[in-house]
Amino acid sequence: MKLLRVQKDHYIFRLGRQEKELFELMLWLYPVIPSAHEPLKKTPGTPDQSQRLLDEALSEQRKENKKQVEALLADKARYHESDKGIELTLTAGEIEWVLQVLNDVRVGNWLLLGSPEGHPRLLPDAETSPRVAAMEISGVFQMILLDAIEHSR
Amino acid sequence: MPEVMPDIERDEKSKPESAKEPGYLVICWNDPVNLMDYVTHVFQTVFGWQRPKAEFHMKQVHNLGKSVLTRESLEKAEHYVHQLQKYSLHATMERDE
Repeated sequence: MKLLRVQKDHYIFRLGRQEKELFELMLWLYPVIPSAHEPLKKTPGTPDQSQRLLDEALSEQRKENKKQVEALLADKARYHESDKGIELTLTAGEIEWVLQVLNDVRVGNWLLLGSPEGHPRLLPDAETSPRVAAMEISGVFQMILLDAIEHSR
Repeated sequence: MPEVMPDIERDEKSKPESAKEPGYLVICWNDPVNLMDYVTHVFQTVFGWQRPKAEFHMKQVHNLGKSVLTRESLEKAEHYVHQLQKYSLHATMERDE
């Protein structure tokens, strides 16, 4: 997957067929992080309702992201096939939530692996390799999208 | 009937607003999974910072284990923590004593 061009607010990427399948698989995996994973740190003077409000807001955000993922996966017109591959168009706003979704897949799988400290040296086995693969693949797509944003700044 | 004037005398003993209000620190913590470029991007997006400032705080998180990103009122600190957690960063807030 690579950035072909930016037209105003639209980023046009080219993907191979397998890349497209992997990209969609990463989106389809969302959400992976268990709900209310990161509690707002309780400190004296912090109202008790802060945690509840934060949980509610994050839960709503996940629902909204999931809706957007489903709409993206169902939108076949978003892809344009050519001799050289498949072109995918994303707006800057869409890239922003796709980044959140991909990072959820990356961080969520890392959490489900037991939050290993030595992530880069983690040796996958038959049980853990799907999670390690999802972490790495979502990370690669994140880097491509981040490079595209940086390129256009 | 005595004329009543509004009290417009300045209270010189009052502390500045920032000193009176309790402040909350928004802190981002290190983890071995979030990509450095991603963390930089999130700081730029959430706080509207230029890349050098965002990278400075990202490196603090990476090298020192945490970075105090800003000091805000309770409401604003909660907002920023929510924004950072929306991006799956490990962010918390603490009262600034």
